[in-house]
Parts: sequence; C-alpha cells; structure tokens
Amino acid sequence: MPSLMEIYQMLPKTNCKKCGKATCMAFAVDLLARKINIDECTPLKEEKYRTAYEKLKEMITPVGALTETGFLVHEDKCIGCGNCVVACPVNVVADPEGTASGRAPSNDKVIIVIKDGIVRPVNIQECRRFGPNKTLCYACIDTCPTKAIEFV
Amino acid sequence: MGFGQFLTEPEFKFIIVTHRDIFQNISQEISRFGNEYAERSSVITLDKDDMKKMGLKAGDTVVAKNTSARVVLKVESSVYEKPHPGIAFMINGPWANALVPADTGGTGVPRFKKIEVTLSRSKTEKVTPLNDLI
Amino acid sequence: MYKGPFVCTGCALLCDDIAAEIQDNRIIRVDTACRKGVSRIKGCSSPMSCMVNGKAVDIDTAIKEAAMILKSSKHPLIFGHGNCTLETQKKTIELARKIYAHIDDTSSFCQGPLIEAILNEKLPTCTLEEVRHKADVVIFWGADPSNSHPRHLSMYSYFPRGKERQRGWEEDRTAITIDIRKSDTAALCGDKFYEIPINGDSEFINALFSALSNKVPKTSFNMDPKKILELANILKKSDFGVIFAGLGMVYSLDSLEPLLRLINKLNETSKFYLIPMVGQYNMRGFDHTLFKETGYINRVYFGREKIEHGPQHSIIELINNNVVDAALIIGSDPLASLPGEIAKKLANVPLITIDPCNNLTSQRSKVTISSALSGVECAGTAIRMDGVEVTLKQIIETDRFSDEQIIKQIMGKI
Repeated sequence: MPSLMEIYQMLPKTNCKKCGKATCMAFAVDLLARKINIDECTPLKEEKYRTAYEKLKEMITPVGALTETGFLVHEDKCIGCGNCVVACPVNVVADPEGTASGRAPSNDKVIIVIKDGIVRPVNIQECRRFGPNKTLCYACIDTCPTKAIEFV
Repeated sequence: MGFGQFLTEPEFKFIIVTHRDIFQNISQEISRFGNEYAERSSVITLDKDDMKKMGLKAGDTVVAKNTSARVVLKVESSVYEKPHPGIAFMINGPWANALVPADTGGTGVPRFKKIEVTLSRSKTEKVTPLNDLI
Repeated sequence: MYKGPFVCTGCALLCDDIAAEIQDNRIIRVDTACRKGVSRIKGCSSPMSCMVNGKAVDIDTAIKEAAMILKSSKHPLIFGHGNCTLETQKKTIELARKIYAHIDDTSSFCQGPLIEAILNEKLPTCTLEEVRHKADVVIFWGADPSNSHPRHLSMYSYFPRGKERQRGWEEDRTAITIDIRKSDTAALCGDKFYEIPINGDSEFINALFSALSNKVPKTSFNMDPKKILELANILKKSDFGVIFAGLGMVYSLDSLEPLLRLINKLNETSKFYLIPMVGQYNMRGFDHTLFKETGYINRVYFGREKIEHGPQHSIIELINNNVVDAALIIGSDPLASLPGEIAKKLANVPLITIDPCNNLTSQRSKVTISSALSGVECAGTAIRMDGVEVTLKQIIETDRFSDEQIIKQIMGKI
C-alpha cells in the first residue's frame, strides 16, 4: 500500500487548487482514501508529469472496486487461492462445513468467495470491520500470499 | 559509429535458480505463444548490488551464456529482503531451460535449478524470441 | 446454467468442488477454483488442429499418418501422460508394449524418486484429507504451493478447520518453509522460515538430525543452532506431521538416504508423513499405472525379449544418445520443459503430438492430433498428488475425440 508521502511526492506540489482542495497534500490525503479521482488533478495530465501520472494510476485503484467497509481487492495480484475465504472468521462461523473446511461455500451467508479465480465480497456488511461493534480483523490480509487485499 | 561498441562487456559469474510463478502459469494455460508468457519467462532477477556492480538497471538486457546456450534476458531487480549476491532467479520455462546443460552424468536428471552462467550487459540486443530458443 | 461440482485438472490437487456457469455449451464462469484452475477450465486461446506436415487434415488422416510413423520406427518413444486420464495412460502403455517402445514421463526428471519410494513403501505417506483433519505441523520443503498449487494451504494443509484441528491455523497448526529463497509461501510462515543455501538440503537434514538427537546442530552456512533446535522441538512435539516435498528438495538430494533417515528419526517420537508436490494433474497416476504393470514407475523399454528399466531409458538419455527415431507426445510439452539442447534434438525426430492446445512441441511436430480437454470436455479418472483416485467429470460437449479414443484408433491401425 502506498504511503501518503509517496503519493504527495508524485503530485505537482504547486497547490494550484484546481482540484478544489486547498493544497496538494490535502489532495494526496483524499486520493489515498479514494475519496477523489486522480484525474481531478488536471496539471498531472501535462506531459512533464506523465510518468508520475501513470505511476499514480497504477498505485491507486479506482473507487469503483471498493465496498462500503473499504474492502479492496487488487485484482491483478489476487490468485484465487482462497486463503482469505477459509481463514475469515465470519465465514468460519457462517459455513463450518464448506468454506471453514477449505471447500466451496455451502450457503450464502459467507462474506467473501472466489468467483472466476478472484476473491469477491458478497455480504461484506457482515465483516468484523463493519457495524457498531467493529474490530480490526486482519485474517484476510495476513493470509494473502500476494498482498492483494487491503482496507482503505 | 562509437568506439564503445568494440569494447566487450565484462562477464560476471552467476548461478540461476529457477522457480514457479502462478502468473506465468496462468499465461501458459492461455497460450504458450502469448506475449505475457514470453515476458514473464524471459526475466532474470538480480540482487540490487550485483546490478549496481554491472551497471544495470531494471529493464536492461543481459546476455546469459554457458556451453549450452546464449540467451538475451530482461533484468529485474530482486524483491527479496536478504541480499543474494551471485545468485539470479528465473521462472522456469524455455528461456531458463535453454541454459540447462544436457549432460546429466548418466542420471537422466538435468540441473534445472542450479544453472551456471556468465552474465554481461547488452546494450543493443533484444530479448531472445521464443522461436529462436529451439 | 450453474452446474457442479466438477474436478479441476489445473494441477495435481484435483480440487473437486468447482462450480461452473455454462451458456450455449461454453463455460462463462468458474467458481471456487484458483485463477490457474479457471484458466485451465476455460480452455486455451490457441486450440490445436489436426495437421500432417503443416497441412490441415481430418482426424482420420492424422491418425493414419501417426500409425504409419510409429509402425516404421525402430525405436519409438511415448512420452508425456501427465495431463492424461488413467484410462488413456493404460492405453499408451498398451501401445508401447505393442510397438516395442520406450515409455517415460516427466517424473523421470522431477518427482520420480519420491513416488518410487512411496510405492515401494520406503516413505510413509498419508492423504490430504488426513492432513486437513489431523496435521498440526506442515513443512513446505523446496516447495512454493502459493505459486504451484494455489489452494493447497486453504483446502488442506494450513487454513481449514479439521476434525482434530477445530481452532484454526493460528492455534492448531504450525506451517514451516525450508527453502533457498523467501517464497510467497515462506512469507506466510513468518519466523518459521528456514533459509538454506543452494543444495544445502542434505546438510540441513544432518543438522536437524543432530538437533533431534539432542546434539548441537552445526552447519557450514552458520544457521543459528537455537533456531534448528527450536524446529526440532516443534517436530518432536507434533502429533501428525507432514513434509510436502517440492522440486527444490528433490533436485538438491543426490540420494533419498538422508531424507529416509530423517523421516525414520521423526517417526521415533511422533507420526510423520511425506506427500510429493506433484505438478501435472495425473503424473502420479501414470507412475502408479506403469508400476502396477511393470514394477517400475517410469523409464521403461518394452524390448522384444524383455522389459528394461534404468536411467539409460530416461527421455533425457535416450535423446542424448540418439536412440529414439520417432516420438509420440501426449499430455505434455517436452520442447518447453526439457533442457534446450535436448529439446532441439527431440525436435529433429519425427514427432506426433496429441493435445487439446497448441504448444512448442506441437509446433514442431510432423503430425498433430487435436484431443478433448480432460476434466472439461471428457470424463475419466486420475490420481491426486497424495495417491487418492479422483473421478473427473465432463463439463461441456465436444466433437473432439478423447486421448483414449485416439490412442485406441492409432493402435487399431498398426
């Protein structure tokens, strides 16, 4: 996951306010949180920033792939191994015979599944990181061999 | 015509260790002749200090040579935390296999995972295409 | 239409819980399989067609030509079989007998020694279901399943809850990687990663053996003795331990003796088993089938007088010594997997390739015969990496013949 400074360093740092933010740093903060699109920074489109723009595009996956809990899958990295699906404590409780045992889901209460070789959220609102009693659970992140999952 | 091209690039001894890679494997399932398969199979990963020593940066090409073959490969920088001077990594495939000696001392098992080569910087050559390997 | 469960033939894990969405006899979505499995099941982008000398022909012409090449050959080789069903493998062995051929498979230069030791009951082994339900210590040795067998850890070896492993991987299981590099699998093992030098396996085994015998373990590569003693302790306390042996280990050991010694030592205090990390979905099946018929797992020559076996009958040495004058390749792509010099020599022998997809070998073949993709376009049986037989189902219809039908037809024409 890119750091705030990494992102900031790639921006024009002119504080031109064209994106509607007061400073480039504020833009970087929103970009990291996926609250704003890279394209809102129009100076980045200039030729001299091309490498930076392309690199940022690579680093910041668009908001569209994001769920309410901020569960984000880097599809280019996910190998569909299912470690996260099997390790997820919510899945374990929801489906002891299926996913918890390492097998295909046997009901629709599970919250992440492998579809077409990539992990997909299905009832992600049930994720432990969501709701009034939320906890910082790392089961899916820690078990991923390719670091394809992050919460943003 | 510059003088530089008449200078031979210094050669460095390396051991190539091959391993599997799921993304190369996926591209192989789709097609042995696809660009992605070729791109992933023809990369050699080097230790950062070795790259510095040889004046290489990621994306440069090197000539890998031994008595079995001469193959041009693309250099990538190692992602391992621990330095591994003198050891290079490649995903197993036709590019690495070209460098595996046929002589097995009669055992019938080639040394697929410990390939001795010399590497030298290549300024002008492109990565060896698949069809030139066999 | 959503159907399943099917068996994935992407690797020798043969995952049997795959669902597929089918529309107009096309697979449009595959669920539960890993990404590699999905690309296997959905099929390649370059299907092979029937050709003779580079010209498109009908399948009968290709089969007739293949039969003619094999009939006129003095020393034919039949090689591959890793991506074939057991039924096909029985037929290729029958064909080899009939035409006095050499027969070999990829185990000849990879997992062969381990499978041979298992079949000769020199190495204790167990099933993957036992691993899921019982294993508390799993060792990935010279293996990186996260890249080679993506669902290995999630389906069986580390993450699932099993009957005797109800509390999950953090409490109930210890995963260890022994390798020369920090692979993706090693990274998941945290501080239970033992980094050894190239070909350091035998020395590491000796050090571990010392530690298991309560002696101070020494290595020329200065691994911290405390770390090895800690590992020995974990292994001693284990109830059910499994070593998953990869090619990194196999290629590094000159003989299996150190490994057998270690396994025996481990079994003095706990239960330890070994499962070879077989790559192609039914390579182990071929070894079982040939073993049943000849007592050998690979490298067999069906001579006119007697059956011969040995390294001189391995594909590598046969090609090195210019023995072979024609080769039938089925369910494998040796021109991609053999050392370049050997691949070049093999390419100069008249080749017949039977495969669903174009590959390097088919491109250089005199005859190519297009076949159905097993486990997708035709059914059959196969043997998983742990020796368990699995039934493959057909997912979609095809007008292509199965490998088995093609071999039968070739035999009929000889």
